[in-house]
Amino acid sequence: MFQFNQHTLQRQGVTVLQSLNLTIQQGEKVALLGVSGAGKSTLLEALRLQQPDQVAWCPQQGALVPMLSVFHNIYMGALERHAAVYNLINLIRPLRRELEAVTQLAAELGISEKLRTSVDRLSGGQAQRTALGRALFSQRPVLLADEPVSSVDEHHAQSLLMLALARHDTAVVALHDRQLALNCCDRIIGLKSGQIVIDGASNQLSKHDLDILYQRR
Amino acid sequence: MNTTASGFRRTTLWLGLAGLLALFVADISITTRDPGMELGRISSGFLSPDFFATEQIGSALGYTLSFAVQGVTLGFVSGFLLALLWRWRMIRAFSATIRAVHELFWGLLFLQVFGLSALTGLLAIAIPYSGIFAKVFGEFLEEADRAPALALTPRSDAFSVFLYARLPLVWQHMKTYGAYRLECAVRASAILGFIGLPTIGFHLETAFRQGDYSSGAALLYLFLGIILSIRWWFRPSLLPLWIAAALLWAPPRANYTEGALSRFLTEDIIPAPMRQNDWQWHQLTDWLLMLAREQILPGLGNTLILGMAAMLMTGIIALLLFPLISSQFGNRFSRAGGHGLLVIFRTLPEFLLAFVFVLLLGPSMLPGILALALHTGAIVAHLSGRFTDSLTLRSDASGGLNRYAFEVLPRIYPNFLAFLLYRWEIIMRETAILGILGITTLGFYIDSAFSELRTDRAVVLIAAGVALNLLVDGISRRLRSHLRLRNGLADQN
Amino acid sequence: MNKRFMAAMVVLCTAFSIAACSPSSEEKPVLVFSAIPDQDEARLMTRFNKVANYLSDALEIEVRYVPVKSYSASVTAFRNNEIQLAWFGGLSGVQATQLVPGSYAIAQGVEDPQYVSYFIAHADTGLQPSEGFPEGIEGRSFTFGSKSSTSGRLMPEFFLREQYGKSPEEIFSRVGFSGDHSATIALVQSGAYEVGALSYQVWDRELAEGKVDPDKVRVIWTTPPYPDYHWVIRGDVEQKFGEGFADKVRQALLDLDDRDVLDSFPREKFIPASNEDFLPILETARSLGLMD
Repeated sequence: MFQFNQHTLQRQGVTVLQSLNLTIQQGEKVALLGVSGAGKSTLLEALRLQQPDQVAWCPQQGALVPMLSVFHNIYMGALERHAAVYNLINLIRPLRRELEAVTQLAAELGISEKLRTSVDRLSGGQAQRTALGRALFSQRPVLLADEPVSSVDEHHAQSLLMLALARHDTAVVALHDRQLALNCCDRIIGLKSGQIVIDGASNQLSKHDLDILYQRR
Repeated sequence: MNTTASGFRRTTLWLGLAGLLALFVADISITTRDPGMELGRISSGFLSPDFFATEQIGSALGYTLSFAVQGVTLGFVSGFLLALLWRWRMIRAFSATIRAVHELFWGLLFLQVFGLSALTGLLAIAIPYSGIFAKVFGEFLEEADRAPALALTPRSDAFSVFLYARLPLVWQHMKTYGAYRLECAVRASAILGFIGLPTIGFHLETAFRQGDYSSGAALLYLFLGIILSIRWWFRPSLLPLWIAAALLWAPPRANYTEGALSRFLTEDIIPAPMRQNDWQWHQLTDWLLMLAREQILPGLGNTLILGMAAMLMTGIIALLLFPLISSQFGNRFSRAGGHGLLVIFRTLPEFLLAFVFVLLLGPSMLPGILALALHTGAIVAHLSGRFTDSLTLRSDASGGLNRYAFEVLPRIYPNFLAFLLYRWEIIMRETAILGILGITTLGFYIDSAFSELRTDRAVVLIAAGVALNLLVDGISRRLRSHLRLRNGLADQN
Repeated sequence: MNKRFMAAMVVLCTAFSIAACSPSSEEKPVLVFSAIPDQDEARLMTRFNKVANYLSDALEIEVRYVPVKSYSASVTAFRNNEIQLAWFGGLSGVQATQLVPGSYAIAQGVEDPQYVSYFIAHADTGLQPSEGFPEGIEGRSFTFGSKSSTSGRLMPEFFLREQYGKSPEEIFSRVGFSGDHSATIALVQSGAYEVGALSYQVWDRELAEGKVDPDKVRVIWTTPPYPDYHWVIRGDVEQKFGEGFADKVRQALLDLDDRDVLDSFPREKFIPASNEDFLPILETARSLGLMD
């Protein structure tokens, strides 16, 4: 599904990941781990470029439109499925069909009571749920998410992540919570100093094995 | 010295020197024999306003508001469309050109084709405003966060992406700016009366020029009242109603005569020598040289002199006045008084102030400099003063002059300079039209050309004014980026 | 929100359609006329609506007056057929007949073939009335009336150039254009300008009405006579209003004997006029470079 062969990834002219070799198969649920700045976001963006039409995208900070309601922000995942005029009408006046679909999704994500609230009035966790909602609403097979539940409390984070993973065939998710990664994903990739230093099945790895990612050299 | 302030000092020094030089060569004599007596007559007029002396005052108010509402609406829409194409250099140059021509000059041009009609009033406002809206909206969109649009699925159509992920980010700013522009448009609409459109300026000009200060004062009070009350009668939700009322009151039509437009384009604006059957190039160059020698150069020179002198005075007045409204100085009552003073000078158009000052002081450059400096100075003082409200000073900060010089001024100076430089272009634009009042800037020659029915000359002169404006705009932009000044607020011209 | 949006759209569409469909030209032809705003501008409507009423009765059609702000605006309006009839000054009249082929002068005031301008001066200048061209006005500040006025600009400038052989800007320390004759009096009286030139009629009237302070401003010279104000009509009115319409208008003006209406101009009575009567004005305007 995704493949890198001796690739070098750059961000704003600076090399972030060097001679990268990586293959991700269909059906895998992968967690990306590493300190901030290790290259998780860069790698996710590179993955997105490889399969732009397959990917449900959930970037860091969500990239939501602050002035629009939760409903509209979630609906934005479906813009490509409709004609521009349909989208325009739905922007001015939410259509019942879309409203029902989004409401159902929002209920699962635990933000149904915020549906008509604009995003700039949400807490960080609620905004993340909205961003995840948009990714889910785009109904695509591959989820690429960058710290999608970092502001959600521990207990809800796991159920939310499980929900998102269950809806996608394949997923690559950047995380900072090692336990969460071990619990939810079946493959762990660890990045450090521009290299992949860990790559293995999660049931073969312990939390201790992952500590190396966060130690200073 | 290697301080951040030294760059600002250098710019200030050069602008100040240019201003001083301009003041030195400017003709700033008081030519009336007894300005005190005229001032007395004007003051007593203001104390005894006569609201019933003016013919058809109600319809004048109606036209003033109709032109303003229609002009802003059309300008908003077309400016927005231009802003969508903002990355094209052509569009930016086009917008800069149409906004470099003052509403009054657009009005004089359209008078030739559409006569004294509602269409002339509408276009005179809408065209330059399109250019202004295009620039402001273009910059809004440029500065808006691109992340939401980039995060969307790449197959979403461009229109939907714009609607959902671009427009909402700038919509609120656009609305606020549009409402502010409406206020400017009411001023512009009133001023259009000076060239004959049936707005309130028509009667204001008559009353003041005939020395009927009581009815003049009444009109001025009405005008101030309308502008200061905009926030109550104008709400975005009522906009459709206002547009409908404006369209009904003054349907944008003209008693258009067959062929007037083509005559204007193929005859009137063609330079006189080229209209002869067997003209030769040297006749055209002679004509242009004559125009340059007798009108363009003196007009541009005087415009530059008056404008630079006004720029210096604007800076001085703004620095003196901003403490009046700043929360760092004075008390509640002094601030209320300061706000009152600044509001009056901000609200009265500089053209109108200059008109009254010409009556008082005679037609030298002095009335023009005073009018521009008071109006623009009040605006810059208002913006700077408001900015000081966001400063938090230490509780042991000194007071009085020390506080002004050591605590406040250094902190706001970059913003003050940005506000002032943004205004430069507008000062030059306004300076040009002061010529209509008899002050010998470029507008004097343009007005003469129109009154001699020589549209060809007027067009060449207006083009010269555009060139000056684009030059000043370019210098100002370069200075601002050199000093790393950036403040969208100040773009409220 | 949606109901309001729909309501707003309905209101807007209605307004647009009414604005677009309302008749742009009335069923019955209306004669629209104007006059140069040469004096007493605050009362233009009151003054000329009387004239409109008279013409309306005499011609048995609707006649409407539109006010204009400047001489050139009245010429432009005439050229664009916004007005079909106009009370022009000498210069604006020849400008109009030059610009609109087929238009012609039909009447003038009985005073107009022998019109004159007054040169006036502020008392502080010490300038005294004289028979010949006044001494000692060189180097002072001077104001004309409107840039397109015959008695307030064209003829005074002509006599000045004739006398000095140079332009007004070279003769005087400062040259201004007050806009109209009443303003010229006000500006010289206030001392804003030391000397000015204007229509004798406006001076005489304002003096009689007590609007002039004789201690502050006085007449120092009367120019030689020249032809001035006249009525001009467009040639194509015959197509719009019927054969012989221009003659009917001329006759209505010549028949006018209502003092109240005549005072609007003010004229004793009207007499016939033709384009040839104003050739001297055309020549003068060309010689001063005001016309091509």
